[in-house]
Amino acid sequence: MILTILQALILPGIAFTITLGLIFEWLERKTMARMTGRVGPMVAGPAGVLQPLADFVKLLYKEEVMPSFADKTVFRYAPGLFFLAPLVSMLFVPVIGPSAVASFSLDLLLIVFILAYATFVVAVLSYASASSFTTVASGRLVLQYVSYEIPLVISIVTPALLVGSLSIQEIVQAQSSRWNLLLMPFSFAVYIVALLAELEKPPFDIPSAKTEIVAGWLTEFSGRALAFLKLSKELGLVFGASLAVALFLGGPLGPVPQSIVPVEIFYTTYFLVKLFALGLLIFVVRTALARLKIIDAAVLFWKILLPLSLAQAFFVLVVKG
Amino acid sequence: MHDTFDKTVQDRKETSAGLMQYSAENLVPFGPIHPALKEPEYFKLILEGERIVDVIPRIGYVHRGLEKAAEQRPWIQNIYMFERTCGICSFAHSMAYVQAVEELLLYKLPERAKFIRLVVAELERIHSHLLWIGLMGHWAGFETLFMWVWKDREIVLDIVEAIAGNRIHKSLATIEGVKRDIPEPLIPGFIERLKYITTRVHYYRNVVDTESTLLIRTEGIGKISADRLEQLCAVGPLVRAAGIPRDVRRDDPYAAYNDVPMDLVTKSGVDIHTLMQQRLDEVVVSVNMIIYALEHMPPGPVKLRVPPVVPKGENASHVEAPRGELFYFVKSNGGRMPERVKVRTPTLANLPSALEMLKGHTLADVPVVLTGIDPCFGCMDRLSFLDRDSQKLWRWSGEELRQYGIHHYFPERKK
Amino acid sequence: MPRKLGSAVPEMIRTLIQPPVTEGYPFKPLQLSERFRGKLDVDPERCTGCGVCALVCPVFCIDMIDVGTRKVGDRELPLKKPEFDLAICISCGECVDNCAFNALELTRQFELATANKQDMVMRKALVK
Repeated sequence: MILTILQALILPGIAFTITLGLIFEWLERKTMARMTGRVGPMVAGPAGVLQPLADFVKLLYKEEVMPSFADKTVFRYAPGLFFLAPLVSMLFVPVIGPSAVASFSLDLLLIVFILAYATFVVAVLSYASASSFTTVASGRLVLQYVSYEIPLVISIVTPALLVGSLSIQEIVQAQSSRWNLLLMPFSFAVYIVALLAELEKPPFDIPSAKTEIVAGWLTEFSGRALAFLKLSKELGLVFGASLAVALFLGGPLGPVPQSIVPVEIFYTTYFLVKLFALGLLIFVVRTALARLKIIDAAVLFWKILLPLSLAQAFFVLVVKG
Repeated sequence: MHDTFDKTVQDRKETSAGLMQYSAENLVPFGPIHPALKEPEYFKLILEGERIVDVIPRIGYVHRGLEKAAEQRPWIQNIYMFERTCGICSFAHSMAYVQAVEELLLYKLPERAKFIRLVVAELERIHSHLLWIGLMGHWAGFETLFMWVWKDREIVLDIVEAIAGNRIHKSLATIEGVKRDIPEPLIPGFIERLKYITTRVHYYRNVVDTESTLLIRTEGIGKISADRLEQLCAVGPLVRAAGIPRDVRRDDPYAAYNDVPMDLVTKSGVDIHTLMQQRLDEVVVSVNMIIYALEHMPPGPVKLRVPPVVPKGENASHVEAPRGELFYFVKSNGGRMPERVKVRTPTLANLPSALEMLKGHTLADVPVVLTGIDPCFGCMDRLSFLDRDSQKLWRWSGEELRQYGIHHYFPERKK
Repeated sequence: MPRKLGSAVPEMIRTLIQPPVTEGYPFKPLQLSERFRGKLDVDPERCTGCGVCALVCPVFCIDMIDVGTRKVGDRELPLKKPEFDLAICISCGECVDNCAFNALELTRQFELATANKQDMVMRKALVK
């Protein structure tokens, strides 16, 4: 019991996720800078590793300004609700071993529900800060969500179809002989593209397009709310990549030699290596592409990715049965 | 006098365009401060969902009164002031002003000065077009292209710094010549670096033509027919991309454009994609012209001494700034200072075309299309008036402005 | 030309391997060209107080200040020397080109920021 609470708080719970979120932000800025010939963060900490933490702390003591015609309750409390979603979801992903901190037989459905809940909170949030930019942003956000949700859910559920269970823990444990990626590569590709859309990274950073609608749904926030919203976006990246690692790349599983080092170290190392590799893939894709328009993004999801994910699911069903 | 003045203003108010025919819910204010605009201008976008129905501009946010200030400074000091109208086309402004004044004096410009002016003007064109390509990448969400192109633009700016001493405000043009010579030992280094820029431009042309996400953002966006462009008096790469071969460097050569061979780049129809191709090809043409001019530069002096007074007369001159035809009108009454200087910048001529190009597109296309004409609002600004109660917009002629000044400062003259 | 997705990727990998082009300023000194027009400098020995620099300056940043008298024939005329306000100076080089005694030059120093505006006034030439 105490062990579970400690695990939930530190590793692989809240502290672990937040630290990973900050490190991912640093890695993203550094790789994006190096691929364009710049240097990225350099000053805060060795090679700038503490820069995201410094940005977070700086935002915490800035003044908070609220538009006078915004919905006060939503404006004040919704950022906290959005922050909880990836934190809670991370508890269901196995990190330090083949079993997760919390799990039950239907936790994959809970994950899908939490993803929907997070986007709903953002849509309400952006509509509540009633300025012309955020209204446009919330429209784009809902349209983008409607487009990417179905391919995302289908590609998440395809591993469950293969294993026959809706528990992430069991899906991970079923990959001890071979990874799911080899059987369902298209599901993996669809999941990555839908993850880019969920995290609002180029080519799908349409709801928070910096050069068109100032900052999209983040426009009217400042101070502590902005700090937590930005951190939540990074945590969303950590969680999305962790889910892909768990569902398609075998989670923390890997060959564990006999030694005096506790077996958790090996599992965590495998997990982190796979997580960072996936993160690098996402950063390379985001740097290489321009931003799409909302109509083109919707067309892409409905016309190409949805049939692809359905075909892959059907193929898996046929193979299994 | 007083009655007729007030009546004229009243007539103007009645007949101008109204703004409040659209309801406020569909109005998205683009500007004056917006991340998509380098300089402040206010565009009211009337949207239906995400489609733009109408665009109503309101200019005048960076009006600095340079034309009036020019009347109070001696001839040579005005060069430095007009150089600072715009950072990107600064040499074009100073060169146009200097050319207008030189034709009132009766000296012959040294040949070497003409070639140096051509070299620096073409270097400025390269840097301006590269800046624009980077900006198009930025507005389309393609930050990578932005960073790469500006990395190569630094090479051009270093060349300019080696010639002029500063990267942007070159302070090179002077009446009857240029102030400094190009240092001879550095010329081979310049030529080598310019050839490197040509290879990079070929790579960017490849990216612009093949990258799918960029093509989705730029192909078919901002279409306008060549006839409409002629009706709206557009200038610069915009008309050349439509297929109309109009370029001041070829139609009315100044500096050394008679002696240096030039290819005129035209494309077959205007949309943002062809504009990008047009400007990248113009960079290659400019590099070839610079290399030719550097290799065939005639020896001789670079400037002549001139007296500080300019004989009476009026003159107009135009140059091909990176954005289009830049037009300067200078009037002298024989003194140390000009009597009137009038500037017509290319962005003012292109703005109606930009507004026409925007109709029917979505909000995501607004920065891309507005930047398509390469706007420089700092150069372009004029005063405009807005009546808050009736929301009517109008402008004054020079005579009305003068009358208003008299009535404001000498109220006893009102009868 | 055929449409490709990710035509930027090979160049990205190439740029990743090469060193970045960012200059190390302010941790390392900046490389400037020889003709860089920075802060104005005056040689008080050569300046004769002729006043041409103040006449040609486009921004009127040079003031001629009385520092004494000079003899011209058998008359006593005021001797004026220039005082430069470097906060207004645009480093255009007009005064440098027009000084007949080569008393002025534009150095390559550009870090002029200071908290006190009076620091920017150069009074070096105000000697008799």
